[in-house]
Amino acid sequence: MAHLASFSFTSSPSNSASSLSPLLQSHQQPHLSSPLQDTLINIDNSATMTNSYKYSVLLPTYNERENLPVIVWLLTKTFQENNINYEIIVIDDNSPDGTLVVAEQLQKIYGEDRILLRPRAGKLGLGTAYVHGIQHATGDFIFIMDADMSHHPKFMPEMIRLQQAKNLDVVTGTRYAGNGGVYGWDLRRKVISRGANFLASVLLRPGVSDLTGSFRLYRKEVLSRLIESCISKGYVFQMEMMVRARQFNFTIGEVPITFVDRVFGDSKMGAMEIVSYAQGLWKLFVAV
Amino acid sequence: MTRATEAATAIGILGTIYLALLFQWLPITLPPTIQEFILPVLPWWVLVTFGAYSLGNIGYHVMTFRDCPEAYDELQVQISQAQNDLRSKGIGL
Repeated sequence: MAHLASFSFTSSPSNSASSLSPLLQSHQQPHLSSPLQDTLINIDNSATMTNSYKYSVLLPTYNERENLPVIVWLLTKTFQENNINYEIIVIDDNSPDGTLVVAEQLQKIYGEDRILLRPRAGKLGLGTAYVHGIQHATGDFIFIMDADMSHHPKFMPEMIRLQQAKNLDVVTGTRYAGNGGVYGWDLRRKVISRGANFLASVLLRPGVSDLTGSFRLYRKEVLSRLIESCISKGYVFQMEMMVRARQFNFTIGEVPITFVDRVFGDSKMGAMEIVSYAQGLWKLFVAV
Repeated sequence: MTRATEAATAIGILGTIYLALLFQWLPITLPPTIQEFILPVLPWWVLVTFGAYSLGNIGYHVMTFRDCPEAYDELQVQISQAQNDLRSKGIGL
Protein backbone atom coordinates (compact mmCIF):
# COMPACT_ATOMS: atom_id res chain seq x y z
CA MET A 1 0.00 0.00 0.00
CA ALA A 2 2.72 2.42 1.00
CA HIS A 3 4.83 1.26 -1.91
CA LEU A 4 2.04 1.89 -4.37
CA ALA A 5 1.41 5.35 -2.96
CA SER A 6 5.04 6.39 -3.12
CA PHE A 7 5.25 5.11 -6.70
CA SER A 8 2.38 7.26 -7.83
CA PHE A 9 3.91 10.19 -5.99
CA THR A 10 7.26 9.97 -7.72
CA SER A 11 5.83 9.28 -11.15
CA SER A 12 3.51 12.24 -11.36
CA PRO A 13 4.83 15.71 -10.66
CA SER A 14 1.38 17.22 -10.33
CA ASN A 15 0.74 15.09 -7.24
CA SER A 16 3.75 16.42 -5.45
CA ALA A 17 2.41 19.94 -5.38
CA SER A 18 -0.83 18.95 -3.71
CA SER A 19 1.10 17.00 -1.06
CA LEU A 20 3.27 19.93 -0.12
CA SER A 21 1.77 20.95 3.17
CA PRO A 22 1.76 17.39 4.60
CA LEU A 23 5.44 17.28 3.65
CA LEU A 24 6.20 20.32 5.71
CA GLN A 25 4.39 18.89 8.68
CA SER A 26 6.11 15.55 8.39
CA HIS A 27 9.39 17.41 8.84
CA GLN A 28 8.31 18.65 12.20
CA GLN A 29 6.93 15.31 13.35
CA PRO A 30 9.68 12.71 12.94
CA HIS A 31 7.91 10.31 15.31
CA LEU A 32 5.21 9.75 12.68
CA SER A 33 7.74 8.23 10.32
CA SER A 34 6.24 5.47 8.16
CA PRO A 35 7.91 3.98 5.04
CA LEU A 36 5.70 6.21 2.91
CA GLN A 37 6.68 9.31 4.79
CA ASP A 38 10.36 8.44 4.63
CA THR A 39 10.04 8.35 0.86
CA LEU A 40 8.25 11.68 0.88
CA ILE A 41 10.83 13.29 3.11
CA ASN A 42 13.65 12.07 0.89
CA ILE A 43 12.01 13.49 -2.19
CA ASP A 44 11.38 16.71 -0.34
CA ASN A 45 15.01 17.04 0.73
CA SER A 46 16.37 16.25 -2.69
CA ALA A 47 14.13 18.93 -4.16
CA THR A 48 15.79 21.50 -1.90
CA MET A 49 19.32 20.11 -2.23
CA THR A 50 19.39 19.95 -6.02
CA ASN A 51 18.11 23.49 -6.25
CA SER A 52 21.04 25.38 -7.72
CA TYR A 53 19.05 28.50 -8.50
CA LYS A 54 19.73 31.82 -6.88
CA TYR A 55 16.94 33.87 -5.39
CA SER A 56 17.00 37.67 -5.19
CA VAL A 57 14.74 39.37 -2.67
CA LEU A 58 13.74 42.93 -3.56
CA LEU A 59 13.05 45.02 -0.47
CA PRO A 60 11.87 48.54 -1.29
CA THR A 61 12.08 50.55 1.94
CA TYR A 62 10.95 53.94 3.16
CA ASN A 63 11.34 54.61 6.88
CA GLU A 64 11.80 50.97 7.84
CA ARG A 65 14.63 51.51 10.30
CA GLU A 66 13.06 49.23 12.92
CA ASN A 67 11.73 46.60 10.55
CA LEU A 68 14.65 46.15 8.17
CA PRO A 69 17.11 44.42 10.55
CA VAL A 70 14.48 41.96 11.73
CA ILE A 71 13.22 41.09 8.25
CA VAL A 72 16.79 40.61 7.02
CA TRP A 73 17.50 38.38 10.03
CA LEU A 74 14.41 36.28 9.32
CA LEU A 75 15.24 36.02 5.62
CA THR A 76 18.81 34.97 6.29
CA LYS A 77 17.68 32.38 8.82
CA THR A 78 15.12 30.89 6.44
CA PHE A 79 17.51 30.71 3.50
CA GLN A 80 20.34 29.21 5.52
CA GLU A 81 18.13 26.57 7.10
CA ASN A 82 16.82 25.54 3.69
CA ASN A 83 20.16 25.71 1.81
CA ILE A 84 18.87 28.33 -0.57
CA ASN A 85 21.30 30.58 -2.44
CA TYR A 86 20.12 34.15 -1.99
CA GLU A 87 20.77 37.87 -2.10
CA ILE A 88 18.76 40.67 -0.54
CA ILE A 89 18.54 43.92 -2.49
CA VAL A 90 17.56 46.89 -0.34
CA ILE A 91 16.16 49.75 -2.40
CA ASP A 92 15.87 52.66 0.01
CA ASP A 93 14.18 55.82 -1.20
CA ASN A 94 16.31 58.21 0.88
CA SER A 95 14.40 57.54 4.14
CA PRO A 96 14.78 60.42 6.59
CA ASP A 97 14.87 57.96 9.54
CA GLY A 98 18.24 56.55 8.50
CA THR A 99 17.15 53.17 7.14
CA LEU A 100 20.18 53.18 4.89
CA VAL A 101 22.60 53.48 7.82
CA VAL A 102 21.05 50.39 9.39
CA ALA A 103 21.23 48.62 6.04
CA GLU A 104 24.96 49.38 5.84
CA GLN A 105 25.47 47.85 9.29
CA LEU A 106 23.58 44.75 8.16
CA GLN A 107 25.76 44.55 5.09
CA LYS A 108 28.86 44.43 7.30
CA ILE A 109 27.39 41.52 9.29
CA TYR A 110 25.98 39.41 6.48
CA GLY A 111 28.38 40.29 3.66
CA GLU A 112 28.30 42.43 0.54
CA ASP A 113 27.36 39.44 -1.63
CA ARG A 114 24.24 38.80 0.47
CA ILE A 115 22.99 42.33 1.19
CA LEU A 116 23.10 44.71 -1.76
CA LEU A 117 22.31 48.38 -1.26
CA ARG A 118 20.79 50.16 -4.20
CA PRO A 119 19.47 53.43 -2.74
CA ARG A 120 17.64 56.05 -4.74
CA ALA A 121 17.45 59.82 -4.41
CA GLY A 122 13.82 60.05 -3.32
CA LYS A 123 10.40 58.44 -3.14
CA LEU A 124 9.92 57.27 -6.70
CA GLY A 125 7.26 54.58 -6.43
CA LEU A 126 7.06 50.81 -6.22
CA GLY A 127 7.16 49.89 -9.91
CA THR A 128 10.37 51.79 -10.58
CA ALA A 129 11.87 50.39 -7.38
CA TYR A 130 11.43 46.89 -8.80
CA VAL A 131 12.90 47.94 -12.16
CA HIS A 132 15.85 49.46 -10.33
CA GLY A 133 16.26 46.35 -8.19
CA ILE A 134 16.06 43.88 -11.09
CA GLN A 135 18.84 45.69 -12.94
CA HIS A 136 21.17 44.77 -10.10
CA ALA A 137 19.74 41.32 -9.35
CA THR A 138 21.92 38.30 -10.12
CA GLY A 139 19.30 35.72 -9.12
CA ASP A 140 17.32 33.47 -11.46
CA PHE A 141 14.17 34.12 -9.46
CA ILE A 142 12.95 37.26 -7.72
CA PHE A 143 10.96 37.48 -4.51
CA ILE A 144 9.02 40.64 -3.89
CA MET A 145 7.62 41.31 -0.44
CA ASP A 146 6.93 44.11 2.01
CA ALA A 147 9.74 45.02 4.37
CA ASP A 148 7.35 45.71 7.26
CA MET A 149 7.12 42.06 8.40
CA SER A 150 3.53 41.64 7.31
CA HIS A 151 4.99 38.96 5.03
CA HIS A 152 6.90 36.19 6.79
CA PRO A 153 9.89 34.56 5.05
CA LYS A 154 8.85 31.14 6.40
CA PHE A 155 6.53 30.77 3.40
CA MET A 156 9.34 31.16 0.86
CA PRO A 157 10.57 27.53 0.85
CA GLU A 158 7.01 26.42 0.15
CA MET A 159 6.68 28.93 -2.68
CA ILE A 160 9.94 27.68 -4.16
CA ARG A 161 8.80 24.06 -3.87
CA LEU A 162 5.52 24.78 -5.62
CA GLN A 163 7.34 26.69 -8.35
CA GLN A 164 9.69 23.76 -8.95
CA ALA A 165 7.05 21.04 -8.72
CA LYS A 166 4.90 22.67 -11.40
CA ASN A 167 7.58 24.69 -13.22
CA LEU A 168 5.59 27.88 -12.73
CA ASP A 169 6.39 31.44 -13.83
CA VAL A 170 4.79 33.12 -10.84
CA VAL A 171 3.89 31.95 -7.34
CA THR A 172 1.77 34.34 -5.34
CA GLY A 173 0.95 34.29 -1.65
CA THR A 174 -2.76 34.33 -0.88
CA ARG A 175 -4.45 35.47 2.32
CA TYR A 176 -7.81 34.26 1.08
CA ALA A 177 -7.34 30.54 0.44
CA GLY A 178 -6.50 27.43 2.39
CA ASN A 179 -4.76 28.12 5.66
CA GLY A 180 -4.07 31.75 4.80
CA GLY A 181 -5.29 34.58 6.99
CA VAL A 182 -4.73 37.99 8.50
CA TYR A 183 -3.93 39.41 11.90
CA GLY A 184 -4.87 42.85 13.19
CA TRP A 185 -7.73 43.59 10.84
CA ASP A 186 -11.08 44.78 12.16
CA LEU A 187 -14.41 43.98 10.50
CA ARG A 188 -14.35 47.17 8.43
CA ARG A 189 -10.95 46.36 6.97
CA LYS A 190 -12.03 42.79 6.20
CA VAL A 191 -15.19 43.95 4.44
CA ILE A 192 -13.25 46.51 2.37
CA SER A 193 -10.61 43.95 1.44
CA ARG A 194 -13.14 41.29 0.50
CA GLY A 195 -15.36 43.73 -1.36
CA ALA A 196 -12.42 45.12 -3.32
CA ASN A 197 -11.23 41.64 -4.19
CA PHE A 198 -14.73 40.51 -5.24
CA LEU A 199 -15.18 43.56 -7.46
CA ALA A 200 -11.81 42.95 -9.08
CA SER A 201 -12.48 39.27 -9.63
CA VAL A 202 -15.86 40.00 -11.28
CA LEU A 203 -14.46 42.70 -13.57
CA LEU A 204 -11.08 41.18 -14.41
CA ARG A 205 -11.55 37.40 -13.90
CA PRO A 206 -7.86 36.90 -13.14
CA GLY A 207 -8.03 33.31 -11.88
CA VAL A 208 -6.13 33.98 -8.65
CA SER A 209 -7.71 34.45 -5.24
CA ASP A 210 -5.51 37.25 -3.86
CA LEU A 211 -5.09 40.01 -6.41
CA THR A 212 -3.75 42.80 -4.24
CA GLY A 213 -1.21 40.74 -2.32
CA SER A 214 2.42 41.63 -2.79
CA PHE A 215 4.30 38.57 -1.55
CA ARG A 216 5.32 36.82 -4.74
CA LEU A 217 7.98 34.76 -6.47
CA TYR A 218 8.71 35.53 -10.11
CA ARG A 219 10.99 34.08 -12.71
CA LYS A 220 13.35 37.00 -13.33
CA GLU A 221 12.60 37.54 -17.02
CA VAL A 222 8.87 37.16 -16.35
CA LEU A 223 9.00 39.94 -13.77
CA SER A 224 10.90 42.23 -16.16
CA ARG A 225 8.37 41.57 -18.91
CA LEU A 226 5.43 42.22 -16.57
CA ILE A 227 6.81 45.45 -15.15
CA GLU A 228 7.53 46.68 -18.67
CA SER A 229 3.89 46.28 -19.64
CA CYS A 230 2.29 47.59 -16.46
CA ILE A 231 0.77 51.06 -16.39
CA SER A 232 -0.69 51.35 -12.87
CA LYS A 233 0.70 52.36 -9.51
CA GLY A 234 0.23 51.39 -5.86
CA TYR A 235 -2.27 48.66 -4.94
CA VAL A 236 -3.45 48.44 -8.50
CA PHE A 237 0.08 47.77 -9.70
CA GLN A 238 0.14 44.44 -7.84
CA MET A 239 -3.22 43.61 -9.34
CA GLU A 240 -2.15 44.49 -12.85
CA MET A 241 0.89 42.22 -12.55
CA MET A 242 -1.44 39.24 -12.07
CA VAL A 243 -3.84 40.29 -14.79
CA ARG A 244 -0.99 40.82 -17.28
CA ALA A 245 0.55 37.50 -16.25
CA ARG A 246 -2.66 35.79 -17.22
CA GLN A 247 -2.86 37.82 -20.42
CA PHE A 248 0.63 36.62 -21.45
CA ASN A 249 -0.28 33.03 -20.50
CA PHE A 250 2.31 32.82 -17.74
CA THR A 251 1.58 30.03 -15.27
CA ILE A 252 0.61 31.13 -11.77
CA GLY A 253 0.47 29.14 -8.52
CA GLU A 254 -0.79 30.11 -5.08
CA VAL A 255 0.52 29.42 -1.59
CA PRO A 256 -1.61 30.33 1.45
CA ILE A 257 0.15 32.91 3.64
CA THR A 258 -0.63 34.67 6.88
CA PHE A 259 -0.53 38.46 6.86
CA VAL A 260 0.34 40.19 10.11
CA ASP A 261 -0.48 43.88 9.84
CA ARG A 262 2.42 46.24 10.47
CA VAL A 263 3.94 45.80 13.90
CA PHE A 264 5.98 49.02 13.81
CA GLY A 265 4.65 52.10 12.07
CA ASP A 266 1.31 52.99 10.53
CA SER A 267 -0.74 51.07 8.05
CA LYS A 268 -2.08 53.11 5.19
CA MET A 269 -5.77 52.58 4.34
CA GLY A 270 -8.30 55.38 4.02
CA ALA A 271 -11.03 56.78 1.81
CA MET A 272 -8.45 58.10 -0.66
CA GLU A 273 -7.04 54.62 -1.12
CA ILE A 274 -10.48 53.23 -1.87
CA VAL A 275 -11.18 55.89 -4.48
CA SER A 276 -7.82 55.44 -6.20
CA TYR A 277 -8.33 51.67 -6.08
CA ALA A 278 -11.68 51.99 -7.86
CA GLN A 279 -10.17 54.31 -10.49
CA GLY A 280 -7.26 51.94 -11.05
CA LEU A 281 -9.57 48.96 -11.31
CA TRP A 282 -11.66 50.72 -13.94
CA LYS A 283 -8.54 51.60 -15.95
CA LEU A 284 -7.50 47.95 -15.95
CA PHE A 285 -11.00 46.82 -16.91
CA VAL A 286 -10.86 49.07 -19.95
CA ALA A 287 -7.19 48.47 -20.83
CA VAL A 288 -6.50 44.76 -20.30
CA MET B 1 -10.08 41.95 -26.59
CA THR B 2 -10.09 43.75 -23.26
CA ARG B 3 -12.32 42.74 -20.37
CA ALA B 4 -14.45 45.83 -21.03
CA THR B 5 -15.09 44.91 -24.67
CA GLU B 6 -15.80 41.32 -23.65
CA ALA B 7 -18.37 42.52 -21.15
CA ALA B 8 -19.88 45.00 -23.61
CA THR B 9 -20.18 42.28 -26.28
CA ALA B 10 -21.87 39.85 -23.90
CA ILE B 11 -24.29 42.49 -22.63
CA GLY B 12 -25.01 43.61 -26.20
CA ILE B 13 -25.82 40.10 -27.44
CA LEU B 14 -27.92 39.15 -24.42
CA GLY B 15 -29.68 42.52 -24.48
CA THR B 16 -30.58 42.16 -28.17
CA ILE B 17 -31.99 38.66 -27.64
CA TYR B 18 -33.96 39.92 -24.66
CA LEU B 19 -35.44 42.90 -26.52
CA ALA B 20 -36.27 40.70 -29.51
CA LEU B 21 -38.22 38.33 -27.28
CA LEU B 22 -39.84 41.09 -25.26
CA PHE B 23 -41.17 43.00 -28.29
CA GLN B 24 -41.85 39.80 -30.29
CA TRP B 25 -39.62 40.74 -33.22
CA LEU B 26 -39.03 37.07 -33.97
CA PRO B 27 -41.59 34.61 -35.33
CA ILE B 28 -41.44 32.71 -32.04
CA THR B 29 -44.45 32.29 -29.81
CA LEU B 30 -43.53 31.92 -26.17
CA PRO B 31 -45.99 30.58 -23.60
CA PRO B 32 -48.16 33.48 -22.40
CA THR B 33 -46.89 33.19 -18.80
CA ILE B 34 -43.31 33.81 -19.92
CA GLN B 35 -44.28 36.54 -22.38
CA GLU B 36 -46.53 38.48 -20.05
CA PHE B 37 -45.22 37.89 -16.56
CA ILE B 38 -41.59 36.76 -16.64
CA LEU B 39 -39.97 38.73 -19.49
CA PRO B 40 -41.00 42.23 -18.32
CA VAL B 41 -39.39 41.76 -14.88
CA LEU B 42 -36.43 39.57 -15.93
CA PRO B 43 -33.80 42.39 -15.91
CA TRP B 44 -34.80 43.39 -12.38
CA TRP B 45 -34.65 39.78 -11.30
CA VAL B 46 -31.13 39.49 -12.76
CA LEU B 47 -30.06 42.69 -11.01
CA VAL B 48 -31.44 41.66 -7.61
CA THR B 49 -30.03 38.14 -7.94
CA PHE B 50 -26.58 39.47 -8.79
CA GLY B 51 -26.73 41.89 -5.88
CA ALA B 52 -27.79 39.14 -3.51
CA TYR B 53 -25.04 36.88 -4.82
CA SER B 54 -22.45 39.64 -4.36
CA LEU B 55 -23.52 40.40 -0.81
CA GLY B 56 -23.66 36.70 0.00
CA ASN B 57 -20.23 36.10 -1.51
CA ILE B 58 -18.60 39.02 0.33
CA GLY B 59 -20.43 38.20 3.56
CA TYR B 60 -19.44 34.56 3.45
CA HIS B 61 -15.81 35.37 2.75
CA VAL B 62 -15.66 38.01 5.48
CA MET B 63 -17.15 35.47 7.88
CA THR B 64 -14.64 32.78 6.91
CA PHE B 65 -11.70 35.23 6.71
CA ARG B 66 -9.29 33.49 9.05
CA ASP B 67 -7.65 35.37 11.90
CA CYS B 68 -4.17 34.15 12.63
CA PRO B 69 -3.17 35.25 16.17
CA GLU B 70 -0.70 32.35 16.24
CA ALA B 71 1.24 33.97 13.38
CA TYR B 72 1.39 37.21 15.37
CA ASP B 73 2.59 35.43 18.53
CA GLU B 74 5.23 33.52 16.57
CA LEU B 75 6.42 36.76 14.96
CA GLN B 76 6.68 38.54 18.32
CA VAL B 77 8.94 35.79 19.67
CA GLN B 78 11.07 35.87 16.54
CA ILE B 79 11.32 39.67 16.60
CA SER B 80 12.77 39.63 20.10
CA GLN B 81 15.12 36.76 19.15
CA ALA B 82 16.25 38.75 16.13
CA GLN B 83 16.70 41.95 18.11
CA ASN B 84 18.76 40.22 20.79
CA ASP B 85 20.91 38.51 18.19
CA LEU B 86 21.38 41.70 16.18
CA ARG B 87 22.23 43.74 19.27
CA SER B 88 24.90 41.20 20.16
CA LYS B 89 26.32 41.75 16.66
CA GLY B 90 26.50 45.49 17.27
CA ILE B 91 23.43 46.90 15.54
CA GLY B 92 21.81 49.77 17.39
CA LEU B 93 18.09 49.02 17.57
